[in-house]
Order: sequence, then structure tokens, then C-alpha cells
Amino acid sequence: MIDSDTIVALATPSFESAIALIRVSGPGASVLATDILGNCPRPRQAHHGRYKDQDGTQIDDVLFCFFKGPHSYTGEDILEISCHGNPFIAQKIIDDLLSRGCEMAEPGEFTRRSFLNGKMDLSQAEAVMDLIRARSDRALETANRQLRGVLGKRITLLAERLLQVVAGIEAYIDFPEEGLPPESQKKHIENIASVAKETNKLLATSHYGNIVRDGVRTILIGEPNAGKSSLLNQLVGYDRAIVSPEPGTTRDFLEERYMLGPHCIRFLDTAGLHSGARSIEKLGIEKTVEQSADADIFLLVLDSTHPPPSLPDEIRDRMTSQNTLLVCNKSDLNELKEIPEEYSPFTRIKTSALDGSGLPELQDAIITLVESGRTAIGEDLIAISARHAHALSEVSQCLQSAQERLESEEPLELVASDLRSSLDNLGQITGRIDNEQMLDTLFSSFCIGK
Amino acid sequence: MQTHSSQFDVIVCGAGHAGIEAALAAARTGAKTLILSGNIDTIGQMSCNPAIGGIAKGNIVREVDALGGEMAVTADVTGIQFRLLNASKGPAVQAPRVQCDKKAYQFRMKHTLELQPNLQIFQATVTSLVFSKGKVVGCKTNLDLEFRAKTLVITTGTFLKALMHIGQNKNEGGRMGDHNAKTLSNSFIEAGIQLERLKTGTPPRLLGRTIDFSKMQEQKGDETPTLFGFYDTRGKEELFHVEQFGERKLGWKPGTDQVSCWITYTSPESKRIVTENLEKSAMYSGQISGTGPRYCPSIEDKYVRFKDKERHTLYLEPEGRNTDEYYINGLSTSLPFEVQNDLIHSIDGLEEAQILRPAYAVEYDFAPPTQLFPSLESRKVENLYFAGQINGTSGYEEAAGQGLIAGVNAARRARGEEPLILKRHEGYIGVMIDDLVTKGTREPYRMFTSRAEHRLLFNHSSAELRLLHHIEAMNLVPPARLDRIKDKLKQIEHWQLWLEKNTTAGGSWGDLIRRPHTEKELPKEFEAVSEPIKKEVLLRIAYKGYLEREKKQIKRLSEIEDTQLPKNINYLEIKGLKKESATKLEEARPVTLGQASRISGVNPSDIGILLVSLKKKTFKTD
Ligand SMILES: Cc1cc2nc3c(=O)[nH]c(=O)nc-3n(C[C@H](O)[C@H](O)[C@H](O)COP(=O)(O)OP(=O)(O)OC[C@H]3O[C@@H](n4cnc5c(N)ncnc54)[C@H](O)[C@@H]3O)c2cc1C
Ligand SMILES: Nc1nc2c(ncn2[C@@H]2O[C@H](COP(=O)(O)OP(=O)(O)OP(=O)(O)O)[C@@H](O)[C@H]2O)c(=O)[nH]1
Ligand SMILES: [Mg+2]
Repeated sequence: MIDSDTIVALATPSFESAIALIRVSGPGASVLATDILGNCPRPRQAHHGRYKDQDGTQIDDVLFCFFKGPHSYTGEDILEISCHGNPFIAQKIIDDLLSRGCEMAEPGEFTRRSFLNGKMDLSQAEAVMDLIRARSDRALETANRQLRGVLGKRITLLAERLLQVVAGIEAYIDFPEEGLPPESQKKHIENIASVAKETNKLLATSHYGNIVRDGVRTILIGEPNAGKSSLLNQLVGYDRAIVSPEPGTTRDFLEERYMLGPHCIRFLDTAGLHSGARSIEKLGIEKTVEQSADADIFLLVLDSTHPPPSLPDEIRDRMTSQNTLLVCNKSDLNELKEIPEEYSPFTRIKTSALDGSGLPELQDAIITLVESGRTAIGEDLIAISARHAHALSEVSQCLQSAQERLESEEPLELVASDLRSSLDNLGQITGRIDNEQMLDTLFSSFCIGK
Repeated sequence: MQTHSSQFDVIVCGAGHAGIEAALAAARTGAKTLILSGNIDTIGQMSCNPAIGGIAKGNIVREVDALGGEMAVTADVTGIQFRLLNASKGPAVQAPRVQCDKKAYQFRMKHTLELQPNLQIFQATVTSLVFSKGKVVGCKTNLDLEFRAKTLVITTGTFLKALMHIGQNKNEGGRMGDHNAKTLSNSFIEAGIQLERLKTGTPPRLLGRTIDFSKMQEQKGDETPTLFGFYDTRGKEELFHVEQFGERKLGWKPGTDQVSCWITYTSPESKRIVTENLEKSAMYSGQISGTGPRYCPSIEDKYVRFKDKERHTLYLEPEGRNTDEYYINGLSTSLPFEVQNDLIHSIDGLEEAQILRPAYAVEYDFAPPTQLFPSLESRKVENLYFAGQINGTSGYEEAAGQGLIAGVNAARRARGEEPLILKRHEGYIGVMIDDLVTKGTREPYRMFTSRAEHRLLFNHSSAELRLLHHIEAMNLVPPARLDRIKDKLKQIEHWQLWLEKNTTAGGSWGDLIRRPHTEKELPKEFEAVSEPIKKEVLLRIAYKGYLEREKKQIKRLSEIEDTQLPKNINYLEIKGLKKESATKLEEARPVTLGQASRISGVNPSDIGILLVSLKKKTFKTD
């Protein structure tokens, strides 16, 4: 186990590229290299080798490259590991590095270290801070998105149960004279075991699923009959969605994953947006708004023969030139209408879902957006999934240790110390769980009042 | 208005537990000090339960003792029942608690103040403060006498705009039978210091001879008392005051002639009485606006919030040796007197009990402590310090801890010296003050061990060792005691090393000590060492892994904990800082990055940005 203060992160920004680069920076980098490779590679030379995890299981054939500080990007010792660009592999390696004592880099931390170690000059300071901000905002958004989902609900539930267990133990420590129900070790052990079980279940299912399940969420929106479903079919190459001349054909949203170059794109077709919709349509529209909240890329599809619609504010506010393409469909019909001022910042692409013209341009434009980095979420997702998985496994270890201590009747405050660490680790996922929350739980569950 | 001729370094307003320690600390560190109180017969009065200490609170008392304060020794020598709480748990969370003779405690405290060189006592109620150019320079009193000082410490407890409730009956005042202070609040408002309301309550007091103790369960004190004071590092010269009992000041040998407390329970009839009369309670009829403590609920609250709980435990605690008055712990209420009477009579053993003083609730002004620096000086008014319940805390020990710090700092400010600030990892006082000034409080703040992230380091017997560098730097104890503390630490470290190095059957002595559940025979050389040293050494060895983990964490956080933030830094102009975070920081104006990191809504990336900005000096100041 290396000393902390050595950070790890995925350095390649895009998703499912051919090669993924994992970067480790800090005083532990050379020790790690020696541990994994058997010896520390000569600086600045690529070394081919096998990456084996702590249990000796081989994960991948990789290239190692070591940089001795201060002659490195951050000014510290750096170990770079290039592995195959499969997110599973990258995440497994990161997981292993975490369990060897590395810490997941905070967003922008490499740049920050580099800056603090004098690797950049003062004039870059503001740019650096903007970058840290942008990176952490994006990471936060990605993390929040994950927490809104099913996984998030289970984690919240887990946090509540864990809080209950911690409050139970803390009550015995802080209020020994309250005549609380007789201190039952058995009950505590049962509670801890049950939370541990839930943690392990979550750990098993959450591990690598998210990244692949996710991908770059690209949403097709526009008024009814603009040709959204027809475009989706063109993009994915088969008739995924029903198309008809009737406006309001798509009622619910549809989803289809497709590889565009190296990127996994998750297309979402939605119900057309228009005011004065009937109630069943309204439901569909609500769903569209909901889906937009999590979208990485917007394809705003216009029927070139119609005056363009106005969009609900919730959607319009999320659209920027960095994440939106204006798709002027039905370009084969030659009755093009003016595009309003409002949409002028968006890159414009003419298509015809009928004859397929403009489709290659549309695909290229999507790739450009993904690779511009502003919408790339693969990196954050891996970081977040790895962080979450790591946090969960720490929770699980702490719980196990707490349980063992209780069983061997060690002092309760040591049990509590383990439990508090488990709570802190869960807080890494849900956001800091502070003592006030624990006290809230404690005072609402136990009648304290001598 | 006449101005008093002498100019003081420090004036302390209020002689409760905070005021006493503030005045003594200021005087003992060399400041010419005046303590004012509206009633000097109630110096150091315990408004509520006549007991000092308890979990986490007992640790604070020992920290106060380590820092040269008075609470510990006074509690020890006026104690009538001693108990070590959590004795069945590990040493880190054990703490002493002592039931005191309420009057003896007060008399001894008053006498101690009287004997203290550099300190003057005067009975007067402070009616307003005197400001000049954003600083406080003195105070006015009800006697039309004005006093001047370089610094002031406000320790007025629950007395500001205080209102006491018994059912629909209301009386002005901070404590039944004491004076009240109505006008001082206006001075704070005038100076831009915000005030809010809190409430607390106290149970009835009963006449002992009307109680049937045979129906109750007896609770005795520990045969060997665990004391608050550190007597092994005090020499003869100090022990004169402490152990020559009865020589000069009131007091007796701790642990002698202990008295018992008694346990009884509420009955189903009690529940009926309370629930049927709820709307007559001041609390439940909307008479009271302040927030009360969750850990000290009234009996009304207990029945309402925990409907399924059939009975509640009550403790009868004697108020002293020379009185037959009993405090009934667990029965705080603001029900009208007749209902209180019925309620008391519904309890086993209290069928015939007479109430000497009814229970009441009190609501009062407090000054939200986020308006303070960690030195306890006001951010709004220079040279003005706040300590105790006025800061939204509750409890004698919490008050004493703050009082001591405020007193030391007021005296240091008067001499132009840097303040004493305890860190979160150094002790409960550090945790408490950081919590208060960083997060404030929504209810009367009381210390719990769970508030301290490093509580494993805070075993009560290590207070002097943990705080040694402050004790030395601030001259808080006589030189001879300081030498003894240093020597004690040296011996502890010596034996720690010795036991890890020297082996016995199956490994080092250290390994043997760490092996759980084994009868441990210790080396003869070590058996000869004094008890306090032995205990500390064994604890450090048994918990080695944990203590090292804590220390590592502390070291890791030290970079941000020790980084000071410039006084006038303009957060709104720091590039990259989120507007929300910047606004929060502007409002809270933390002193260190560590403090900034604990403000809710400020996240790690904000701290990263601040760190970069500080290191590269890209920030602007106002
Ligand atoms: C009814 C009641 C119930 C309580 N219940 C609990 C409880 O259940 N648990 C708990 O932990 N704590 C309780 N407390 C709190 C505990 O008593 C206090 O926290 C502690 O005493 C605070 O110490 P202090 O020094 O801040 O203030 P106090 O002990 O209140 O002392 C204030 C001092 O200031 C003086 N003073 C006030 N105003 C002026 C003025 N204008 N001029 C001059 N002198 C002034 C007073 O005379 C007094 O000497 C209770 C207090 C009260 C009043
Ligand atoms: N001429 C022409 N017709 C098109 C084009 N794209 C779609 N259409 C036709 O327009 C009609 C509507 O197409 P859909 O793809 O169902 O439109 P939609 O936007 O999904 O509509 P809703 O699901 O109702 O919101 C169909 O009759 C399509 O054949 C195009 O590029 N050119
Ligand atoms: Mg459709």
C-alpha cells in the first residue's frame, strides 16, 4: 500500500477510443511501477508489459511510461499506462490502482498540481482556474445524473440505513445514561451485516455497467412530423421507429445505441413538441422535457417547409452552440423557410431523411461535437464509476471490520470509527454526510433527555 | 453617568461559568481585569442540574484544567457524587461526571475570584456598551457608573431579554429568582450584531423529606472517584489551595461521604396528565418562539415525539449536603404549576412530594456565533469578545471552555498579542469553537463526542499532553507545573518505546498488550510507574494503529488547515469560483482554508481554486 497523495485519472478524453491513457502522479508513482512491473522503467521510455492486479490476475497488455519529477507534466513523478481503449479495462486498472493506495484525482487536479509546482506561469492562472471549474462542473453534472437514476435511489436508501446503524452506535456512546434499550451486540451485528449485504449487491451490479449503458446521450427534438423518427432510422441504419405522415406518431421516447466512429452514441427519439397538444401527447411531451435534462447533444430537427416552432424554456435553456446541431430536414422539398435569429448560433446541417442526403455531414458534426471535449462524458463516467465503485468497496470493508470488532467485543468507539469511515465513503457518492444528519437521525430515533 | 477612575485591560460582563473562567484567565495571564455581575451572590450558579461533566463535557472540563482554568478543581472539591461514565467502553469515550454541592461550588468560586490578584469584582448590571470608532471601549451600568477597558468579554448567559414561562404565567428574567438584563441587547443591535431567540427549560425541585426513596432504585457513586483536575502535575505550592481542604476555601477531600442519586419512572397516569394538558403548556400553546434543544426535550416533547414509549426514566439528584432540595432530572416542562403538581404525584415515590420551585422554560436572546472570529472576538466590533450561552451553546462546561479562550484572547489583545486558537484535532474546545463560528447553531449547542472527527485522540486524561504547546506558548500554568507536564510526556514516550522494543514470550510487550482478551502481566519495571502515566502508555500502545491513522489524516489535512486566508480577500472577484460559493465565503469570511472547507455548499474544487489563487496571489482585496 503506497502512501496517499498519489492521484490517478483517465487522461484520454474520448469514449471507446483505440487506446486509453491512465495517468498516475505523485510520490508513489515509482513504487507503483516497481510493484506492478517488477522494476521501475527508465524515464521517458515506453515499456511493454502485462498489467496484473494485486491478486495477480492479468488485466491487459499495456505500455508503461515513467517520468521522473520535476521533468514531467505535473512536476511530480508520473506513471502513464496505455491500455486498450475498452472502458472495462481502463476502469479495472484504475480500480486496482485505487486499491493500491492511489486516490482518484479531483477534476482538474493534474493541472492544478502542475500549476502549483511552477510548471505554468502566472498568466495562465486564470485559465487554469476556469478549467478546474469547468471540469468539476461537468463531473458534478455527470455524477448527479447518475444519482437521479435507479442506482441513485438504491444508494440513497443505503445511506439512510447506514445512518440509522451509525446513529444507533453513537447513541450508546454519547448517551450512556439514557436507559436506551439494553445494548444488544447481536442487533448491531445484524444491522451492520444487512447493510453490508446491500452494499455488496450494489457493488456487484454497479461496477462496470454504467458506462456501457450510458454513452453520449443524443436527443432528437422538434415539432411533430419534422422527420425525427425518419432521421433516427437513417442514422442507425434500419427501421427502428415507426414513421407516418400523421403528426404525433411517436408518443413515447425511443432509444437506440450506435457506434459513430469510436464513440458510443445513444440516440433518443422523442414525441414532437407543439403547444395545444392533447392529453396523451402532453404526456409524451413531458417525457421529452424530462429526457432533455440529461442530454449531452441536442439535434433540433426542423421541417424546412414549416416555420420553426418555439421550444419550452426548460429545453431551450440547456441548448448551447457547444451541444446543439440544427438539422434542417426535408431539404429535398425546396420550400425552405427563414431560420429565426434565435437559432443562429447553432451549426446548421441540411438533410433529407427521405434520400439520405446530408447524413454523412450530420454524423461528422456529431463526432466533432463529441470530440470537442465539451460533451465528452466517457472520461467523467469512468472516473465517477471508478470512484463510486471504490467508495462502495471501502464501505463494504469498513462494515466488515466493524462487524468483526463487534463480534470480538472490542471497544465500541473503534466500531464507531469504522462505521464513520463507511459513512464518509458513502458520502463520496451522495455528497458529504455531515454529523448534523447523523444527529438528526439519532434524535428522531431515540428519546434522549436526561 | 460617572466614569470609574481606573482603566482596565479587560472587563468581563457576567459571572456565570463562562465569565468566571474568562476573568480568571485574563487576570492570571497578567491583565488588569474587572468582572461585573448583576448579582454576585449567584457567581457560578448552576442554573439547572448541579452536576459537572459527562460524556464529552467531562473532557472539556479536563481541557479547561489543562489550560489553567478553575472549573475542574472546584467541581472536584465540592463534589458529592462521582461517576466515571462509559466505564464499560474504551478509554477514548469515557468521561467523569460529578454531582456537586451547588452552594459550596458557588461560594468557592466567588472566594477564588476574590483571592485572585489582578482581578476586581463589582456588583452592577451592564445596561449598554460604549463604542468608539467601531471599537468597544467600555460599558455603562444600572448604577450610573461607566467603566473603561481595552477589551470586553460578554458572558451574560440566558439573561438578555429573557422571558420565563410556567404555563401561561410569564416572568422577565434569565433565571428564577435572579436579576434580569433587558437593555443590553439594544447595544448589540446598534452595533450591527444580529440577535436570535433560543429556549431551554428546567425541571421542578422537590423537598427530600417528602420523597419516598424506598420505592426507587439507588444509584451510588464510584468508590474511587475519577477527578477532573490534574493533580500529578501540580506541586505543593498549588496543592495548598487544592488539597489542604478547609484551610482557606470551602471544600472537602474528593470522594469522601458520597451521597446517592435515585432512579424512578413516569407512570401511565403521568402520560395521561401530560397529553391531556398539552395545550396548557407554554411550549405547545405557541407562547414560545425560540428553538429548544433536541437532546434535552421537555416531558411534553417526549410524550409527543415518542408516542410508543410507555415510561420515561427520572433521576432524583441532591442539590447539596446542607439542603434537602432535590433536582428531578428528565422532567423539564413548561406546564402550569397545578399540572406539574399532579404530574409529580403520579410518579412512583413522589406521591406526596412537595415542589420547592416549579419547572419553567426560558427564552432568551443569543448572538449567532457565526458573527465571531475563531478567537471569539466579534467580527463587527473590535475588542469585543463573546463566550458562553450568549453564543448559542448550552451547558456549564461548554461555557467554561469558551470563557477561558475568550479571557486569554481578550488579555492578549489588550497587549497586542496573537490569539490562542485550538484546532479541531487538539481537543473538544477546538471542535466546539470551530463548529460555532463556522456553522453556527440552530438549537442550543451541546458537545457530543460524535462531533469530533478525532475523538479517539481525546481521552480525558490526555488533555494536558494534547494542549502542551499552547500551555507553554501562552503561559497558562505556573512554570513548575509546565515542567512536570513536560516530564510526564517524556516518561510516557519513554515507556511507550520501551514496551515496543523489549520482548517477552511471543513478541514485544506492545504486541502482548494489543492482543485482545488476554490477562496481561506487565514488566516489573513498568508496574512501578505512576498510575496516570501507566494508563496513558497502555492506551497509546493498545490503540497504536488507530492513533497512527488519525495522525496521518491530520497531517494530510494540515496543508489546508494551516493556510490562512487574507482578511480582506474579495471572493466575488476570484476567477473560476462559483457565484454561490463566493457568496457563501463572503458571508462566512473564514480564517483558514480548513474552515472554508467546512462551510456547507463550498466543495473541494472551490478549495482547489482558492489554493491556486492564494499560492499565486491572483486574488484582490477590498
Ligand atoms: C432555566 C435553565 C435551564 C437550563 N437547562 C440546561 C440544561 O438542561 N442542560 C444544559 O446543559 N444547560 C442548561 N442550562 C444552561 C446552563 O445553565 C448554561 O449553559 C450555563 O450556565 C451558561 O453559562 P454562562 O456563563 O454562559 O451563563 P450564565 O451561567 O447564565 O451566567 C450569566 C451571568 O451573567 C450575569 N449577567 C447577565 N446579564 C448581565 C448584565 N447585563 N450585567 C451584568 N451581569 C449580567 C448573570 O448574573 C450571570 O452571572 C440551563 C439554563 C437555564 C437558565
Ligand atoms: N420529403 C420529405 N419527407 C420526409 C422527410 N423526412 C421525413 N419525411 C416524412 O414526414 C413524415 C413524418 O415523418 P416522421 O419521421 O414520422 O416525423 P416525426 O418527427 O417523427 O413525427 P412525430 O413522431 O409525429 O413527432 C413522414 O411521412 C415522412 O415520410 C424528408 O427529409 N423529406
Ligand atoms: Mg416520430
